[in-house]
Amino acid sequence: MNTKTVGVIGAGTMGAGIALVCARKGHVVKLLDANQAVLDKALGYLQSTLSRDVEKGKINAEQKTDTLERVHLVSDMEQLAVCEIVIEAVPERLDLKKSIFSELSRICKSDALLLTNTSSISITEIAGGLPHPERILGFHFFNPAPVMPLVEVIQGKKTSEENMQTAYRFAEELGKVPVRVTDTPGFIVNRIARPYYNEALRILGDHVANAEQIDRIMKEAGGFKMGPFELQDMIGIDINFATTQSVYNDFFQEGRFKPSRIQQRMVQAGSLGRKTGEGFYDYNK
Amino acid sequence: MTTTNKQTVILTGDSPLHAAFSALLTEQGHQVMSLEEAVQTPEAVTLALEVNNFDLTKKREQLAELDRLLPAHVPVVTTSLAITATEAASWTEHPERICGFGTLVPLAERKLIEIAPALQTEEETIRNTEAFFHSLGKETELVEDEVGLVFPRILTLIINEAAFTLMEKAATPQDIDIAMKKGTNYPYGPLEWADRIGLDEIYAISRGLSRDLAEERYRTAPLLRKLVLAKRFGIRSGQGFYCYEKEEV
Repeated sequence: MNTKTVGVIGAGTMGAGIALVCARKGHVVKLLDANQAVLDKALGYLQSTLSRDVEKGKINAEQKTDTLERVHLVSDMEQLAVCEIVIEAVPERLDLKKSIFSELSRICKSDALLLTNTSSISITEIAGGLPHPERILGFHFFNPAPVMPLVEVIQGKKTSEENMQTAYRFAEELGKVPVRVTDTPGFIVNRIARPYYNEALRILGDHVANAEQIDRIMKEAGGFKMGPFELQDMIGIDINFATTQSVYNDFFQEGRFKPSRIQQRMVQAGSLGRKTGEGFYDYNK
Repeated sequence: MTTTNKQTVILTGDSPLHAAFSALLTEQGHQVMSLEEAVQTPEAVTLALEVNNFDLTKKREQLAELDRLLPAHVPVVTTSLAITATEAASWTEHPERICGFGTLVPLAERKLIEIAPALQTEEETIRNTEAFFHSLGKETELVEDEVGLVFPRILTLIINEAAFTLMEKAATPQDIDIAMKKGTNYPYGPLEWADRIGLDEIYAISRGLSRDLAEERYRTAPLLRKLVLAKRFGIRSGQGFYCYEKEEV
């Protein structure tokens, strides 16, 4: 496998995880964030994760040092000019992503692959109006990126087939399982998983069964690892609600994706799940 | 009526659940007979299990026949996947002995079976239905009577959305299934899951939700309906979302 220089923009949970995935496979990583504190935290995460790898005997101390040395923390986007591949992993705001890809289009070589780790924004919209939109595509990791095997490789309206194949192979080289999907709301997972939460909420709202019953049924009858309500509490009810709203709006208010008022009220009340100590279940007990 | 351990059960209906329950009942030592056989010795029957979902005319006829044939104290347990138990009960002279339930094949993967009493179901029928499923080694959960209950309803909507995604050619069947298993830990991909359960069964639930709740939310994916019309029910018919037959020469 030929190693590449990979830029990762945004050093939050997702960006740091993606940087780790790339560095472990021998790629040189330019990890970019405007906020030095975020970069410091990301470095701490990389160090502690690789130290655990050494303790578990997965790698030796030398490999840990080599892997860490491959990750360069940078704060200026111009330093990404050398990258053959750039993966953007900043918060899900269209204006932010558009300005980053506009900058990248100017800075990077015209054949550099520009990937966005979006879970909900149209690739076509991010690439719209930029030169060389054929090299812009979606590359959606799942959280936590070093653990979850899936990457959705998303073809925008103007993404070339050749670049789709290159990105697909790159995902395989990273040890991930890639799937291809066209630029449709929620792509595959966030679209098809909507009913798991939304229909459970509807069943709850219609008082067919309560949350504990529904969770038990989906696990004991359905074989799912977690019930829809404990899963929402874990993900964050606000995050789950935002994803549903985004898919619903991007489908032009198609009824199949209609958000739940129960969920909306919980977000309004600040009952967001485990992170607030209370969601569908009480975690303060 | 007290439920003894070993029962004599009429098992009738077109659902893939028929073969699954036939095997499980026999394995657990219950006596299984068809509706035709029971006509000879109706007094021996202690419980009836009716599992039609796709053909609701047949469901109605068989429930009426069971109702005529069996003494009023014998429970008639009916799948409420495509219609409510309350509607099924409304077709009989003794609605208090009708109780709904819902599950999907294969039964070996179901540790728990949902029971949905009709509005008309009397308490003793509910207790007998629970005891019956416990005797098959299953846990039970009582839920309110709505088409598809909980697990079959949620899974049907997931499969229906996967069918829309496939119809739009947003991704291949293989990639859809891989994505749901690897991206969100589903035990099966929705399309391969549908092929194992039977597309006719999933369609019957979707059609029932669409009919009873009458919202755009429950619109059946046209591809799912067409596959069922073409008798591509999944693994058991050799073709569904995937093809299981050997390549034709």
